Amino acid sequence: MNEMTESQNGETRIVVLYCQHSVGNDVDITSCAKSVAGVRVRPAMMPCSSKVQVSHLLSILDKEADGVEVIVCPEGCCELLIGSKRAVKRIEYARGLLDDIGVGPARLGISHGAGLPADEFVKRVAARAEAVMNLEENGENR
Amino acid sequence: MIFGEWKPVEEIVESLADSTEVLLVGCATCVAECAAGGEKEVETLAPLLSMALKKKGSSVEIKTAMLEKQCEYEFVEMLAEQVEKADTLLSLACGIGVQVLAERFPDKRVLPGVNTSALTVREEAGVWASRCAACGDCVLGETHGFCPVARCSKSLMNGPCGGTSKDGKCEVGEEMDCVWNQIVERAEARGELDSLVKIRKTKDWSNTRHGGPKKVVRKELRQ
Repeated sequence: MNEMTESQNGETRIVVLYCQHSVGNDVDITSCAKSVAGVRVRPAMMPCSSKVQVSHLLSILDKEADGVEVIVCPEGCCELLIGSKRAVKRIEYARGLLDDIGVGPARLGISHGAGLPADEFVKRVAARAEAVMNLEENGENR
Repeated sequence: MIFGEWKPVEEIVESLADSTEVLLVGCATCVAECAAGGEKEVETLAPLLSMALKKKGSSVEIKTAMLEKQCEYEFVEMLAEQVEKADTLLSLACGIGVQVLAERFPDKRVLPGVNTSALTVREEAGVWASRCAACGDCVLGETHGFCPVARCSKSLMNGPCGGTSKDGKCEVGEEMDCVWNQIVERAEARGELDSLVKIRKTKDWSNTRHGGPKKVVRKELRQ
């Protein structure tokens, strides 16, 4: 899926990176992505959350999105054993870097899930979008 | 390997305030090993700086480049074309790499993004520790393979001092092993404890920084 373009009509842009096992196979991700009002969502499935790199997360925030939500398998359930554990560490590190430059770490979030249903996927996206909107309402502009 | 760490991001951001186009240059050798200036770190720092500078209202453009070795003129030459457009080069190499860039491109502003601090070994993932201080007069043969210059907090040539705890730690920090305690233990294990009471010749410090800037010429290797 292509990168998102500039924000239109003040909509919040969220990229969701999710492990293939964290969301149910029957979930229609495209419909879910379109169902959050005022939020433009680009979902991207990963074979494992261990694929998440700090550079990818920061690059997405710099060039494409207002917030990133990463959905990983619960600890102990990762098919590659420690993939989700690694993802958690990398996201903590990236959040620290965002904090260093005065960009709200809340723009970057992580949550756990295994075979999540559609409504739960949408909730996670909406929660990240809300966190980003709160930051901007509180004067944290990028 | 030569060990370096990112300078504080705020310090780097401030140093770029007057720049218009920055070329962030990494090095694939030592600083890549210590996760400060390899490809991953270059690709991490670039968007971070871009966000930080945008937040300050700056429109600096940050481009990236990687060199196999930033401390060799032949490799640095490969940057010539990319450097043309940039007004600032931000190097993530050790201090040697930064200076080689500055020598080759004297009309550009060259800034260090890394503080070079030690010669280390990677003990385990994410842990580096000093092993050498490049002192120019190696005593490892006399100290049973432990370097007292790099690994003793006081660089003592005879030890342990009075600050060693009963569990063999240094008074400077509880997490630090006393290297002289380690030297004694290893000598004892080898049955060579007597070797430590020998009078050794005075260490020659003139072959390091104390003797002025180093320059070595080996005629047999010159063309």
